[in-house]
Amino acid sequence: MKILKKPIIACLTPVVLTCIFFLASCSQIHNGSIIITRSGIQQPGNTSDSPVAEQLALINPDKPSEAPVVLTKDFFTARSPRVSYDGNNILFEGRKTQNDTWQIWEMNINGSHLVQITSSPDNCTNPLYLPGNRIVFSKASASNGPGTTQSLFTCKPDGSDIRQITFSPYSYASSTILKDGRILFISKQKPEESSSSLMALRPDGTKAELFYFGAKGTFQRGNAEETADNKIIFTESDSVSGNKTSLVSVNYNRPLHSRTVLSSGLSGDFKCALPWKDGKLLVSYRESESGNYSLYEFDPQLKSIGKPLFENSGYDITGAVLAVASERPKKLPSEVDMGVKTGLLFCQDINIHNDQAIDGKMAFNSSKRIEIIGMDSVMGIVNTEEDGSFYLKVIADTPFKIRTLDEKGNVISGPCDWVWVRPNERRGCVGCHEDHEIVPDNRRPLSVIKDPVSVPVHINKVVEKKISLE
Amino acid sequence: MNMRRFFVIAGIVVIAALLIHFPGRKLARTHVNGKTGVEDHPLLCTSCHIYISKNPVIKKLVNADYLSPYNLAVAKDGRRLYVVAQDGNALLVVDTEKNNVIEKIAVGKMPYTVVLNNDGKLAYVSNQWSDNVSVVDIGKSRVIDTLQTGNGPAGMTLSKDGNFLYVVNAFSSDVSVIDLSNGEEIKRLGAGNNPSSAEVSPDGNTIIVTSRRAIIEPYGKPVSTEYTVIDGTTRRVQEHKSIESAHIMENAAFTPSGDLAIVTLVRPKNLVPSIQVEQGWMMTYGIGIIEQKENGRTIQLLLDEPNSYYPDPFDIVISPDGKKAFVSHSAVNSISVIDIDSIRAMLADATPEMINNWGNNLGISFRFVTARIKTGACPKGMALSPDGKILYVTEQLEDRIAVINTSSLETMSTINLGGPDRITVARHGRRLFSNAGHTFQNQFACYTCHPDFHEDGLVYNMASKDMGRNLTNTQSLRDIGDTAPYKWNGKNATVYKQDGIRFSTVLTRTEQFSYKDLDAISSYITRGIHYPPNLQYNPDQELTVSQARGKAIFERSKDFKGSEIPVNGRCVTCHPGPFFTNRQMFDVGTLVPSDDSILFDTPHLNNIFASAPYLHDGRAQTLEEIWTKYGTTDKHGIVNDLSKEQLNDLTDYLKSLRAPEYESKSSREQQASFKFH
Repeated sequence: MKILKKPIIACLTPVVLTCIFFLASCSQIHNGSIIITRSGIQQPGNTSDSPVAEQLALINPDKPSEAPVVLTKDFFTARSPRVSYDGNNILFEGRKTQNDTWQIWEMNINGSHLVQITSSPDNCTNPLYLPGNRIVFSKASASNGPGTTQSLFTCKPDGSDIRQITFSPYSYASSTILKDGRILFISKQKPEESSSSLMALRPDGTKAELFYFGAKGTFQRGNAEETADNKIIFTESDSVSGNKTSLVSVNYNRPLHSRTVLSSGLSGDFKCALPWKDGKLLVSYRESESGNYSLYEFDPQLKSIGKPLFENSGYDITGAVLAVASERPKKLPSEVDMGVKTGLLFCQDINIHNDQAIDGKMAFNSSKRIEIIGMDSVMGIVNTEEDGSFYLKVIADTPFKIRTLDEKGNVISGPCDWVWVRPNERRGCVGCHEDHEIVPDNRRPLSVIKDPVSVPVHINKVVEKKISLE
Repeated sequence: MNMRRFFVIAGIVVIAALLIHFPGRKLARTHVNGKTGVEDHPLLCTSCHIYISKNPVIKKLVNADYLSPYNLAVAKDGRRLYVVAQDGNALLVVDTEKNNVIEKIAVGKMPYTVVLNNDGKLAYVSNQWSDNVSVVDIGKSRVIDTLQTGNGPAGMTLSKDGNFLYVVNAFSSDVSVIDLSNGEEIKRLGAGNNPSSAEVSPDGNTIIVTSRRAIIEPYGKPVSTEYTVIDGTTRRVQEHKSIESAHIMENAAFTPSGDLAIVTLVRPKNLVPSIQVEQGWMMTYGIGIIEQKENGRTIQLLLDEPNSYYPDPFDIVISPDGKKAFVSHSAVNSISVIDIDSIRAMLADATPEMINNWGNNLGISFRFVTARIKTGACPKGMALSPDGKILYVTEQLEDRIAVINTSSLETMSTINLGGPDRITVARHGRRLFSNAGHTFQNQFACYTCHPDFHEDGLVYNMASKDMGRNLTNTQSLRDIGDTAPYKWNGKNATVYKQDGIRFSTVLTRTEQFSYKDLDAISSYITRGIHYPPNLQYNPDQELTVSQARGKAIFERSKDFKGSEIPVNGRCVTCHPGPFFTNRQMFDVGTLVPSDDSILFDTPHLNNIFASAPYLHDGRAQTLEEIWTKYGTTDKHGIVNDLSKEQLNDLTDYLKSLRAPEYESKSSREQQASFKFH
């Protein structure tokens, strides 16, 4: 037996030591820790005209006197952290040196095991973990034409298999993953555009639709968050009122008609907000331009801000995420088939549009055809059926707009915002630019009894064949 | 033991383990793939050998006898509840002060609802699978009489004077009017398709009977479902009216003033290509408000919200002051609280255009739904205490009653009815089946298209490739465990495959079932759903003369000219008992250009009388039409030599087909000779 003891001990010792090591690694993070983004860092070699660098740092709000533990010491600048659903990893955007472009990085929750996810000549920003072992982020897309607009892309956690999922000249920035599994993202037509909106789409790029549209001159900023009571909270700047940034919430159940400015009684500015304890929010806030952004507790019921939870002298705290595990959103299946070159678009009645209020008339039957407008040219004019429906087979991943015409070709309404369909996507609209609270009427559309009209119309037959991935 | 021997033995064990492990695992993988029809199911023996086993001992061990409370009534003094336990075949008497069950009274099979007579001394319980009503003496806690009804008695209501009982017969689609002075059915009134409830107006002059299934129409015609208005004085049908674009009107309630009748309803989108779920594309749910005045309007209002749906509204009750209505949603474990005065205000100024808009507007509910109350699994029937202060809700799949304060709208307590404590795999599967949590934004449950675990009688444009193609008649889920493959094209060899990744990609459009949930729902669908007895067409195993003649035609091998019918032209070849399917694929000549080129899985025929319309796209509104309007080529059996009378005999026989346990041994042997490939 003595002979046996030695090999057993020899085997068990490294196992025990390994377990202790991993337990020790995990226990480094306090359950209530927060990863902050702080700005105001003067990096060596930074010139005066360079943007202020940012850092990710770990803080324990229960011990506000403790100095933040910087997680991105090796970076010139880093921001936009997101914690994986299991609470073990952090995804963020960063630049190692001043001359680097923004890239997506991942590290353990304690700052170890840094891995570069993207390696692109373009800026890759706003990363989010998708349920289903993928990542979504924003990146400039050559297919968008001239300019620096951003599209949404997804990739595997190792940076491989990059796929573009939005296709339009608008600029998109991922904002959060809704519990229902869709990506919520900020849509801005052009840098000089007068406002932005929130849109939602599935992680495969299908079924993109308007989620929230603010007043003219308002812009949604940074990441939105979904709370336990089904509110979407985000910050919104208002160019009309001197770019003051407010804290706004909308109901997930009715986002287009439930905007509430939570910070209406406050004079200061907000940078970010996220669900906190007991229904409260954790916000980054400064009372005046002369002060720094600090972390506060905010009561959305009373619309009141409490005392600072954490201040970092000399720094602005511009972002925060909780370093904890969180509920994973639904993992949505994908209908996209990259072996198919087209998608299908069906509209039930072009005469239904958003001018028709809930208590108004539904349709006035004047549009008889639609014009499909591509980025460079008109893709075709298609007659609609008597019931106002149309059914198109469209080249996938190609942006287009639609406007409605009367019999003589006069424009009745539109064009709508840019639309695209993904390969093999089958997408339906109730009307053209319709009220998004309207559901389809239960009637058999005349258009789908026939074959779809191929668009661009000069293509007689779309040959289905494999197309290459990004 | 020396070290050398130890390592030799250990080495042999490891090598043996590896030799067994890899081929064994491959063998197990092949076996599981073959049995489940999918390639990713975990190698769990329990999935098939326990959860869907037909072995009586195993079935007894893995299942439990639940009560499944369905509807209930409250005594006039509020001290007792009378709860119909559907799976317990019992009426439970509950003490509302002690919150416990004090009596369990055995009634008929599959009891549906209960009403109390005017003095509160008798309870009438409709027994849907017994075709009768149990009369329970409450004082003696026993059944003292049984009243015969039509087929499938469901909802009931008493005339205002308490002398007549109106019993809705769900399967025979009529209403039995029973004179309670002698217990005799004095007349049978026609009703809509698959009626479900009856409600008498406060003045007693009107009885409204709601229906589940829509009027059968060719695909493309608007969906409309009938409700029947009965004159409470003459006890005659006053009119048959229909509600457009709606079906599954489970229950109705009158306001105390009698100015409005409100019905629960579903607004399906079966005529629209099923290409997405977003924006209410598949189903919406609401209420129908029927104004009780001359030329009164019918207004439909959705209870859903944008991005959130409230599927399967079942019961509706209205507070004694007429201010609030409560609607139970069995698929999202929720009660909607409705402010009736808000609805009245909306109706006062409503134009026809506005009313037309409201039925398709998800935002309209914000005008009159004031709260949503969470409940336990599958809330069904509800009842208010006499003072209206307490709402009692049956939580069907919890075996308990929720007690809700109607002022605070909070659940004060729950009453455990005494069902099993454990949740079996099949019970979990039934919860999944009944719950919309597995569809995008909770838009529909399995139960929505398969109400009563059957089918909804609608044809959907499933748009599998292109839109407008492949119309699909919903199929029943009753006793399908031994009738694989599934789908009209037979592509799904098992329920595991049917409810797998493709199911979530093209239908529910959200995260697919976990394997644990898939095991559970497969267990329930495969073994947990049963046919009702065919008491309408085959109550006593004795065929009528016409049915017997039809049986001979069904089983014949020669036509009436004496010529031999090819084997594949005989009914019995493809439709042998006990399930009346040989589970093979055939071309029966019913494909149309808008169908993909497929062969059809031979459908099972038990209780086929209850599954109109027929054929894969529902084009045949009756069984007769299969061989008249749509069967002129003899590809679907040789029948063109039949006279009209002989065809009637054949369809009479088909309507008599019922659950396998009543079929003969020879039929079962014949069935066993067919093997599924």
